[in-house]
Amino acid sequence: MNEGVRRILEQMERNGYITDSEIATAVYLAMELRKPLLIEGQAGVGKTEIAKVLSSMLDVDLIRLQCYEGLDVNTALYEWNYPKQMLRIKMEEHDRRSVAEKEHEIFSEDFLLKRPLLEAITRQDKAPVLLIDEVDRADEEFEAFLLEVLSDFQVSIPEIGTVKATHVPYVVLTSNRTRELSDALRRRCLFFWIDYPSFEKEVRVVKAKVPGVNDALADQICMFMQGVRSVRLIKTPGVAETLDWGMALVSLHRDHLDEENVRDTLVAFLKDNRDVQKMSGKRLDVLLSAVSGDGRPPGDIIPALRQQLTALEV
Amino acid sequence: MVGSHKGSLLANVVDFGMRLRQRGLLVTPGEGIDSLRALRSVDIADRREFYLALRTVMTSRLEDIPIFDEVFFDFWPRLFADDPWDEGADQLALPASSTASDDAAGEGGDSVNEEVEAGGPQDDDTAEEQEVAGYSADELMSGKDFSAFRADELEEMIRITLRMARKMATRLSRRMEQTRHGHVIDRRRTMRRNLKYGGDVIELAHKQRKIKKTKLVLLCDVSGSMDVYSRFLLQFIYALQSNFARTESFVFSTQLSRVTDYFRNQDIYDALDTISKEVLDWSGGTRIGQSLETFNDEWAGSLLDQRTVVIVLSDGWDTGDAELLDVQMSELQRRSARVIWLNPLMSNRGYQPLCRGMRTALPYIEVFAPAHNLNSLMDLEQHLIA
Repeated sequence: MNEGVRRILEQMERNGYITDSEIATAVYLAMELRKPLLIEGQAGVGKTEIAKVLSSMLDVDLIRLQCYEGLDVNTALYEWNYPKQMLRIKMEEHDRRSVAEKEHEIFSEDFLLKRPLLEAITRQDKAPVLLIDEVDRADEEFEAFLLEVLSDFQVSIPEIGTVKATHVPYVVLTSNRTRELSDALRRRCLFFWIDYPSFEKEVRVVKAKVPGVNDALADQICMFMQGVRSVRLIKTPGVAETLDWGMALVSLHRDHLDEENVRDTLVAFLKDNRDVQKMSGKRLDVLLSAVSGDGRPPGDIIPALRQQLTALEV
Repeated sequence: MVGSHKGSLLANVVDFGMRLRQRGLLVTPGEGIDSLRALRSVDIADRREFYLALRTVMTSRLEDIPIFDEVFFDFWPRLFADDPWDEGADQLALPASSTASDDAAGEGGDSVNEEVEAGGPQDDDTAEEQEVAGYSADELMSGKDFSAFRADELEEMIRITLRMARKMATRLSRRMEQTRHGHVIDRRRTMRRNLKYGGDVIELAHKQRKIKKTKLVLLCDVSGSMDVYSRFLLQFIYALQSNFARTESFVFSTQLSRVTDYFRNQDIYDALDTISKEVLDWSGGTRIGQSLETFNDEWAGSLLDQRTVVIVLSDGWDTGDAELLDVQMSELQRRSARVIWLNPLMSNRGYQPLCRGMRTALPYIEVFAPAHNLNSLMDLEQHLIA
């Protein structure tokens, strides 16, 4: 393994992000090539987390732009601080300077409200991490604008002129695939798909993130979740849900999975009533008998469990 | 094109990129350069890293990964002759089709360095202009009745459908969304709000623009009588779904299943596979009334409003309760902006909606249109603007 990749792997783990060499390689390349990294994957697999850990790893600020329908350039880039400008004009009403001079003053950087994108390219000390979260939710016209910023790392503000990035930020984009992104944007980025974690990785995540969980319970929870993901649900639970569930069980002092414990806490990882109904009955029995443990290693139990549950779908 | 030393890693990477490009991946000479930079950064003697570096640079979406894998293992076979990820990485022959492979493996790092400089940063714009060929083939295909396709034309068909639906969805989302150019000031509220400052305008009140956006709900019949058509229609739905965010998809035969998420998170082949496994009675009978009832009871509340267009894709052959269908169609019409019914049989000259199901549904349908080939599906666009 390359020294750089190994270092990233270690640093990510040290900063509390349980990861693997695939993710570490992608992050490493994004840093080396200085290209934006587009991360796609199901909800709750830790896409956003990558940007967070990258910033703490590099010890730089994380600037986050949360995308949503209707997000416009003003909210993402900059706005003029209008009330401040007005007050300044009032204060200087009797000042004898020319209009041009006054104008120059109130349209200077002091009166600019920087929004995330401008903030990210004007950091003076060092390059921050810019997280553009759920970019698929933004409108297409915004995506086009974003592409422009990500290509040149400069923006033009009519009253001031062109602002060029002092340091090119590390850019991480995440998408949940509710909408296909444009080819142009995809081409601009390195691409990485995060899948649901393997059993072993998920156990490591649970042990690291759920304080007070015992080894046996962590194994049971993760085995259960690996099974649940082969059931066709409206909202398939991600790692975030696994952690919620682990926390719920631990704070209720339940140290193993049985029917009562699962039923009481099902809502921690199933977020739709239809899913709750689907999971009760036969499927729950299958899952519980699999995780109650008959001495076989998880590597044997999980494939069989998945097969059983898939068979129930037809 | 980048200067090609025969058998060099650069030439091989460029060649590899071209193959991916031919398979529809977004690879330009720019990616070729990035790939070499990436390979320079990682340990290329580590086969897994070699693979990951190229994949990270050259793929751009989930669907690309299986294609990338296929081309990759075909192109660099000697790299992975034995078990793909056998960690005991011995002597590497890099790359497979190379005559000077020993060279490249021996001094991998250095030669990559030189070649990056020799190749120089290329302007990728020129390559971006070139469209992948085959447009006339598209035109031939798009007028052909779905029932006339041969099995070996399916892959081509999927590709064209995805591309056409993508263009359509792009146009649609532009037309369906009111564009917002900056803030518009609400003069009346601004004056009122600033009275407290003695008439000086300190605070601005902006007009809250209502965003008008159309949503789509697609209900596709996958029962036996639709067998010839449903696979094509599902491809179309997949393409629409993946390009148009506010789309919800369902399939029905004797009962209804929501398939939005299968489409969203899988490639088209896996999605079709999942649906055929998942949906009970695939190619069985049809109970449209019951299926619509399930939709109205369980989903209409959260999905339908007066900006939602409901599209039913079905031939109307119904073996269920006609009275129930009547009630449910009226419910559907009442709760949505409009109901569009696409019927593949309408292409037959002299087609009359005589079957009972179709006759029952007809009074509640605003647009009744054919859906027997790609062109007819693309015509849908004009009916969708609510």
